[in-house]
Amino acid sequence: MSTLPMFEGAGAGPLGFDRLVFGVEKARTRSAANEDPIEARAIAAVKTGDAAAYDYLVSKYMKRVVSIAWGVVRNAADAEDLAQEAFVKAFESIGRFKTGEPFGPWIYRIVTNLGLDVMKHRKRFRHEEITDSAPAARGDRADLPAISNELAERIDRGIESLPEMQRIVARLYLVEEFGHAEIAKMTGLSEGTVRSHLSLARGKLKEKLADLHGGSND
Amino acid sequence: MTDNDNFLDRLRADARQLRFEPDEMMSTRIAARVRERIAADSQTGIAQMLARWFRPVMVSLATLALVATLGIQWAEQSHDASAASLDSMTSTQSVDISVGGDTFSVE
Repeated sequence: MSTLPMFEGAGAGPLGFDRLVFGVEKARTRSAANEDPIEARAIAAVKTGDAAAYDYLVSKYMKRVVSIAWGVVRNAADAEDLAQEAFVKAFESIGRFKTGEPFGPWIYRIVTNLGLDVMKHRKRFRHEEITDSAPAARGDRADLPAISNELAERIDRGIESLPEMQRIVARLYLVEEFGHAEIAKMTGLSEGTVRSHLSLARGKLKEKLADLHGGSND
Repeated sequence: MTDNDNFLDRLRADARQLRFEPDEMMSTRIAARVRERIAADSQTGIAQMLARWFRPVMVSLATLALVATLGIQWAEQSHDASAASLDSMTSTQSVDISVGGDTFSVE
């Protein structure tokens, strides 16, 4: 999946701040676990065979799941199929889902893995639709606010120009705002590898977007 | 490192708007398809459960029927065979008695 070396310890700074950040991220992920009692009840109901209770989980995580899927495959139709598949897969294996855990990270991991599988499949059969010069046409651009459209477009192009795993990690970090630990869980990479991908992506993006965020005019 | 982190933080603030927002139609479609597939899966599940129960029961019944048929057939055959051998034994066991040049057969 990745050609980059693994830097397991790369995140640990001399003062251990990075470890502290990891800890905060983990705590945030964990504390988000049981914050929604309706979600916990819905999961319990689904586990006992009440399929209708699953609607709550689908509607709650719909937008995020579709957005993650789209970020990986860059195609609205594929993202729709992936989201659907992810929800069905999650339902089918709900028996293995740990009670009390948040549903979000689980479904995010499922959809990310499905997306990565699609990318592998595309690569294998040389059906890649996206190139750096021609990002996929999509409807969301029209929804962006007019003022920030150009800015968003440039950031988007910058992210899309990155090698695949850097692109996916950068998108999950920048656009979806997941933490390193969360991205690691979702992609199956180690946190060190996620940081490594992100560091490389950061360097390239800084180069490409120097005039946007590198100077004093931000 | 800090500059870079600031750079990513600033980029994050602007990149947030790149999130894909599924429209109402897409959301409804996905939810409906998920519901449909879950329902189909649960129906398949019931059928599979029944099949899981029925298959061994049917196999057992079929085996019993086969064993019973073979048993009856074997019993009938062995009964016929014993009856036939008794008949043949009784029919062939005759005693020949010769008296004064004449032979008499007594069954």
